[in-house]
Amino acid sequence: MEAISVVFENLPFLLMGALDTLKLTSFSVLIGLVLGTLIGMGRLSKIKVINVPSTVYVEFLRGTPLLVQISIVYFGLPQLGIQLQAYPAAIVALGLNSGAYIAEIVRAGIQSIPKGQYEAARSLGLTHWQTMRYIILPQAFKNILPALGNEFITLTKDSSLASVIGVTELMRRGQFVITRTFQTFSIYFGIALIYFLMTFTISRLVRYVEKRMAVA
Amino acid sequence: MSKILEVKNLHKSFGNLRVLNGLNLEVGQGETIVIIGPSGGGKSTFLRCINHLEEYQKGEIIFLGEKIDKHHSNLNEIRTKIGMVFQHFNLFPHMSVLENLILAPVKVKKISKEEAIEKAKAMLKKVGLLEKIDAYPDNLSGGQKQRVAIARALMMEPVLMLFDEPTSALDPELVGEVLEVMKDLAKSGMTMIVVTHEMGFAKEVADRIIFIDKGVVVEEGTPDEIMKNPKHERTRNFLRHIL
Repeated sequence: MEAISVVFENLPFLLMGALDTLKLTSFSVLIGLVLGTLIGMGRLSKIKVINVPSTVYVEFLRGTPLLVQISIVYFGLPQLGIQLQAYPAAIVALGLNSGAYIAEIVRAGIQSIPKGQYEAARSLGLTHWQTMRYIILPQAFKNILPALGNEFITLTKDSSLASVIGVTELMRRGQFVITRTFQTFSIYFGIALIYFLMTFTISRLVRYVEKRMAVA
Repeated sequence: MSKILEVKNLHKSFGNLRVLNGLNLEVGQGETIVIIGPSGGGKSTFLRCINHLEEYQKGEIIFLGEKIDKHHSNLNEIRTKIGMVFQHFNLFPHMSVLENLILAPVKVKKISKEEAIEKAKAMLKKVGLLEKIDAYPDNLSGGQKQRVAIARALMMEPVLMLFDEPTSALDPELVGEVLEVMKDLAKSGMTMIVVTHEMGFAKEVADRIIFIDKGVVVEEGTPDEIMKNPKHERTRNFLRHIL
């Protein structure tokens, strides 16, 4: 019984961490979306100086561990004279990382739109950018919404890695409680439940938006 | 009759595949040209070169006295003067009929939204679809989609209209309504190049029929000349197959 009550006693403290997790994730997804959209389009560019760096970016960030990336940003950059606090460092690392994954999602989304859409828009005199903005990306976004939802969920979970650089998100706060109470199982399990509640809510939200957009 | 378009010695290949092999054509103001020919003969590619959806390797395309090639400084502006209608309509499915029509006038020509809407209504009336102004493309029949696509192209007030097999994706009973709109357009004096095998349409409105095969103009003439008295064996063979 004590094992369960320990979770409830510390619930407000843990929920504060959950809020930080959500904030951290949301900011990172925002960065990831902007970055991913640009790089995703860059991957499809015929211009080499745009295409090659985009590809290198995606391959490198997908091919290296997030934990290492976080460490580079927080512990490594100060040696180059760029000093970031733990929280912004985590946002930067997570944002850069999700940018790579979202870039691939966006690329697939753009490629899912029939070529005729692009041609029709260009034949009306729209520029490449106008065509992307008004014709291709809005349609692509609808198609990739489920994949973006997945990425949001993955990032929510991965944000727990920010605990290693001292960001007081959910995981970190759980560890604080454990060092005080030694209730490893119930606290970790409690944290798992809170993560699950967050990801489950996100997945429901995404599905709701998906349905709304399918009607429109 | 002033010249709208002049194509000289046009060559185009996709990799090793040579599609256009020195194609020549002149189109005068108000002319309706119908292009026929076997599939794979270069008809569509030729149309797509005119508004530079495809690049070409050799030759010249001169539209209103300006050379259209990849070095042209403002292809987007040229494209606003050349309307194109596609086989598969290519309406924007995430936009209503009205939004499809006003997007380019507002974003490219920068006319006011109110003015664009008024114009869109007039244009939809012309193609008989005013009641569909708020519909989405998915809720239109093929014939209606193509008529909207024609209206969308006309919104830019083009000087030249290109039709790339506009009725070949349609159920037979829907072909007529699209051809009617095109006939009206031709009779109103629009300069048109139409790739189609609708010989009835060609007979009624074409000033000239062009037979293209293997990337060159094999034969050209009035509908009467081509349909009753084709000079070339290839033209005769082709006509036998489609008539």
